[in-house]
Amino acid sequence: MSEIEKGFFRHGNDSYVANFSDAEREVLVNLVEQIIELLSERSDNHSDDPLAAMVGITSHDTPPDDEVLLRLLPNAYADQVDSSEFRRYTESTLRQKKQAHALVMRMSLKSSTDGIVEVDHDGANAWLGAMNDVRLALGVRLKVEENSHDELALLSPDDPMRGVYGVYSWLGWLQESLLEAIMDEFQ
Amino acid sequence: MPKIKDKIEEEIQAIFTADVPWITIVWDDPVNLMTYVTYVLMELFGFTKETAHELMMKVHTEGKAVVSSGSREEMEHDVARLHEFGLWATLQRSDQQS
Repeated sequence: MSEIEKGFFRHGNDSYVANFSDAEREVLVNLVEQIIELLSERSDNHSDDPLAAMVGITSHDTPPDDEVLLRLLPNAYADQVDSSEFRRYTESTLRQKKQAHALVMRMSLKSSTDGIVEVDHDGANAWLGAMNDVRLALGVRLKVEENSHDELALLSPDDPMRGVYGVYSWLGWLQESLLEAIMDEFQ
Repeated sequence: MPKIKDKIEEEIQAIFTADVPWITIVWDDPVNLMTYVTYVLMELFGFTKETAHELMMKVHTEGKAVVSSGSREEMEHDVARLHEFGLWATLQRSDQQS
């Protein structure tokens, strides 16, 4: 089917469409749910400080130990003190925004009955952000570096990372298709 | 009276550094697609495709690029938005070595 090979394409004004197989949808839902879950694991414990909860101050002021979480929620300053202060006041908002992107993507996949997903400009941005977070997470696990693509492409068929790299590459292609569809506007 | 002179110099220095704007730096990342970085810069900062592409190429070839400058609060806002879209960004004083 040509639509599948096309990934996302423009469908009239402010609308982008992709046609996914059931297996593709399942993979995508599974991946965004992992991102949602990972971000939830770092949720704040506000029970002891309702005021902090009200103004969105996070209980975290140290960077995450988990490498993937650290890439999704990076330091804003080279200086550790400034970085901790910034994290304390902004990290919970950042987590919520990333989860919101992931939830938009999950919702459009789950609500599609025929595999066709249609998004507007805002939906496309949420998809781009969510797909990117998944790619960042997979990239950390695959230890992707500037010139590691040749190496990763040569992984042996029984290496479990080969499948992960396959999904990572496919997502990059899908993300690129949506970007090309949107960027047409700017030509 | 070297002590007073030192104090004055210190104060002058403080006035000058107070006016030094802050900058937002985007760092190279092996995962983010080049098209994606270009698009995010256009979306968040309203750059033309050409400007955004040039900045993205600078990030890609030189390892980093300054994408905005202004007050510390403004730069913190920019960094937060870049993090929301997964770009690797930090802020610092413009006279600080990165």
